[in-house]
Amino acid sequence: MAAQWETWTARVAAGGTLTNEELQLAAASPEILALGMLADTARRAQRGRVVTYLRVASVDPDQGIDAAAVAAAGEVRVTGAYPGREAAEAQLARVRREAVGRMVTAWSLADIEAAGEGALPGVLARLRAAGLDGVAEVPVDRLKSPGAAVAALVEAGFLAIRVTVEKAGGESRLPLLEALQAAAAAGPVTAVHPLPLVLNPFRPTTGYEDVRTIALARLAMPASVAVQVDWPRYGPKLAQVALTFGADDIYGVPAVDAAPDGPRRGLLLEVRRNIEAAGFEAVERDGSFARSASQAV
Amino acid sequence: MIDALAGKVLAGGRLNADEALLLYREAPLHLLGQLAHTVRQRRHPEPIVTYIIDRNVNYTNVCVAKCNFCAFYREVGAADGYVLGFEEIFRKIDETLAVGGEQLLLQGGHNPDLPLAWYEDLFRAVKARYPSFKLHALSPPEVLHISRLSKLPVPVVIERLIAAGLDSIPGGGAEILVDRVREHLHCHTKATADEWIGVMRDAHLAGLRTTATMMYGTVDTLEDRITHMMRLRDLQDETGGFTAFITWSFQPEHTERGGMEATGVEYLRTLAVARLVLDNFDNLQASWVTQGGKVGQLSLAFGANDMGSVMIEENVVRAAGASYCMDELEIVLNVEGAGFVPKRRNMHYEVLGDPIVRERDVPRMLTLATARAEGDDSRPEELSQYEARSRQEKERRAASRPS
Ligand code: SF4
Repeated sequence: MAAQWETWTARVAAGGTLTNEELQLAAASPEILALGMLADTARRAQRGRVVTYLRVASVDPDQGIDAAAVAAAGEVRVTGAYPGREAAEAQLARVRREAVGRMVTAWSLADIEAAGEGALPGVLARLRAAGLDGVAEVPVDRLKSPGAAVAALVEAGFLAIRVTVEKAGGESRLPLLEALQAAAAAGPVTAVHPLPLVLNPFRPTTGYEDVRTIALARLAMPASVAVQVDWPRYGPKLAQVALTFGADDIYGVPAVDAAPDGPRRGLLLEVRRNIEAAGFEAVERDGSFARSASQAV
Repeated sequence: MIDALAGKVLAGGRLNADEALLLYREAPLHLLGQLAHTVRQRRHPEPIVTYIIDRNVNYTNVCVAKCNFCAFYREVGAADGYVLGFEEIFRKIDETLAVGGEQLLLQGGHNPDLPLAWYEDLFRAVKARYPSFKLHALSPPEVLHISRLSKLPVPVVIERLIAAGLDSIPGGGAEILVDRVREHLHCHTKATADEWIGVMRDAHLAGLRTTATMMYGTVDTLEDRITHMMRLRDLQDETGGFTAFITWSFQPEHTERGGMEATGVEYLRTLAVARLVLDNFDNLQASWVTQGGKVGQLSLAFGANDMGSVMIEENVVRAAGASYCMDELEIVLNVEGAGFVPKRRNMHYEVLGDPIVRERDVPRMLTLATARAEGDDSRPEELSQYEARSRQEKERRAASRPS
């Protein structure tokens, strides 16, 4: 297998990709560091040495909106489950008033689909007209057809499409990778978050599983797609190691750090320090993936 | 140059300090991991990862050393200072035995009111009740503290502790074995680098096996860490007494020193370099208690061959903000998930058998126990049998004497 890894590494370093059969072989290999090296090579060839990070203000429109958090954020995210179209439009109206000039995201596309409020592109177009800039989660493992769901988002005019995974799959990552590929082929997906967003405290995913998933996602995705890791869910240590296995975007850095002893400026320093200590350049971005000119912390 | 050094490692060559430093600074992370994994496989061709079921008991949090990186200690006379009673310790041993454990890792603060006789009596009492139970106890600075209190030389203290039941010595209190760093950390008075090494040499000469540790990420440089590893390697060449090396990053929360913790990638690099430098150490532990289960598991790809302890109880790292917990089942699943075979071991790293969770039902443990329940400020009765050295304790005893 050593020669195989070398061949693949040379190919991805030159901008090439792996076939699905080769991905399958890489996924089945126990050589986690060889896989990491391959994904890191692919990521450097495709995306350079920049790691972007996004500050997110999570808001519950029914509880009032923290103006300081919104001002600091690159994305304002409405929390809670999709409440149905009318209530959603009312929530968006409230958030939009406070989040001027900010990207507003909300809900899971799977919940919007499950609400059965008519043809998906039509429902999404109305939400977009009400002020929604992006659907927060597009979970390929819960959608009837990830490709059709992304096509519906495109038809409704959404520009920044973030594809996600809700629950940890089984041993084989191939169905997941294929679903991510189908989603990315259906429209301009800007980012994938391949690690599960719903965590099981009794059977947490392991470090090996996480970095393997990240690496395979990098190898399976086109160069235009960022591979994300969620900072609050996965924590600084795993998020940082994931950067060395092909991830290039840190999602969900809290816009205001509600530390038990009060807010601290240290959080941004910590994010940047983790990125830099992994050997990358830290750049803040906004929700539409525009990079921030100001990198003051 | 990195390629040449990688070649040297792969050919079984020994790295000098400059070479180790260059690799530490410049080798890509995955390459360091692959080299460390190769060296580990050479030493442990079987794909086994060991762990121990033991309990990390801190017999007192009262300490006169006042290291500025420590969030655990309390000053003499503090309202929340404690000393565990013998009965409390026996209860903890019973609980440890119930989940298949066979050892206490027993460490504590430098309490001036606990003389050598207290330790001897405790060890004897444990061995009388639990003859085969092991005591992995008293790091070098504690041994030095007892030696200073009792005005007895270290070898004599060690001899007396062995006679009372001490089985092995944990490698705590090493921090970084460079006195400039130790002065900054305010831990040079508890033990200088030479004194720490000296206690370990005495212990090895007395026939005890010990572990070695390194806490990095304060004011230390990469050079300091390599110097630390070299000092351990030299002593190991001389005595062969170390069973294992464990490194972890400084945990800053609630400490006087404060600051930020070193990152996960830095931990994996440090671990891998340690595997390359410490070519005469058999075992390297993964510090999941400071790095979390995920980076703890990934350590197995970066040179570690041991998952440390199930712990059951932990007080010191928790006081500094880390609160990771892995019970035996989770350790076993992590080891298997990384492609290895989990085996229980003892302190000498002898394999004892398969996981207990595979043999019988063991209740899940999702949090680690603490030394004492919140609000428990009881004082063990037997304490009054030992001479008090501190003014505060003498005054307290005088005040509680019936007039
Ligand atoms: S690290 Fe040990 S010696 Fe230092 S203050 Fe804490 S308990 Fe005392």
